[in-house]
Amino acid sequence: MESIEDLIESLAGDAEPVRPARNPFLTWLKWTGMAAAYVFFALLISGHRNDLAERLHSPIFIAEMASLVFMVCSAALSASLLSFPDLYQRGRIVYLPLLSAACFAVVMMVAWRLDNPPSPLPVHSYQCTLSIALLSLLPMFSIFRSLRKNASTHAGWAGVNAVLYAFGTGAIWLRLEEATNSIAHVLEWHYLPMLLVGIIGLWLGKKLLKW
Amino acid sequence: MKEADLESLMGKALEGDRQSYAELLRETTRFLKPYLSLRLREEHEVDDVLQEILLSIHKARHTYDGNRPYKPWAYAIAKFRLQDHFRFHYGDYLRQAVELSEIEESLAEPVTENAFSYESIRGEIERLPEKQAVILTLIHREGCTAREVAERMGMKESAVKVAAHRAYKLLRKKLEE
Repeated sequence: MESIEDLIESLAGDAEPVRPARNPFLTWLKWTGMAAAYVFFALLISGHRNDLAERLHSPIFIAEMASLVFMVCSAALSASLLSFPDLYQRGRIVYLPLLSAACFAVVMMVAWRLDNPPSPLPVHSYQCTLSIALLSLLPMFSIFRSLRKNASTHAGWAGVNAVLYAFGTGAIWLRLEEATNSIAHVLEWHYLPMLLVGIIGLWLGKKLLKW
Repeated sequence: MKEADLESLMGKALEGDRQSYAELLRETTRFLKPYLSLRLREEHEVDDVLQEILLSIHKARHTYDGNRPYKPWAYAIAKFRLQDHFRFHYGDYLRQAVELSEIEESLAEPVTENAFSYESIRGEIERLPEKQAVILTLIHREGCTAREVAERMGMKESAVKVAAHRAYKLLRKKLEE
């Protein structure tokens, strides 16, 4: 007990004024705003798909985009809460990305059934995954940098959400940029890689968010 | 101490009030100690984990903003460090584990009977890890059986046999050098 008392004395001796971490809901707003701005500027540079106005009248395309945005937003919120040791005492919200992923899966199943006869496949394939991955590097770096400032007790899950947020941002951009209506293509090269990316996020989280 | 008092102490600590911070850490120690004692067997383990938790609370104190109860925040850190401790402890235990097939033959043999005398290898035994040295000394100098050693050292009989087996392996290696 003596050594604990010594430790307390030493820690108290080091206690400089500390500025509390930003409220996670404000951080979430910042991240979602950043993602929106990032997609907007990326589209300004790359240009949007030429049939965008037409696609925005398609309910299934709107549902797909809405569920993707829901997934990105929920992943950002979850990551933001997970950066606090006690999840900011909002434990249930951190599992919201599971609900958003389920919604997204349902929407994509409906889209798959409605894509009949199937739209023609584009000539390219893995380049889409690569483009999304490259575009997601900057948001990923930014979110991990921000998460490392706090103290996560759920590093793996925080990593999954951080990577989903970044990769989802890239996926939104590519869906608005690439003129393809083939659901088979977007499932295979845009969205299924998210599963692999999630596993990478789990590993990255455990590596990068140690404290 | 009431939850509100803890929050107020933490609020002052974040502003750099060292006395409040020390008081908060003492109070935290007070409510965490029974929590840890229920989950850890040895008193020294409780103290070790408690020190880790206090250090973590210090490192992560900026993640507490005074807008939520203090105790759940402190318990979250405590649980996290306790899990870390278990992971390390059991990970280490498994790393040091011996395959049963490796010692199957010697388990059947009486470990207390050996061809060599204690005095002839006493110097080598004393250089073994402490626990193994004590076990061999009890077996070979005092003539205890594995069961008696287990009772005296508060270990399982199989654990004594495993430790003795390891010690013999080490000794053999040393003597062959």
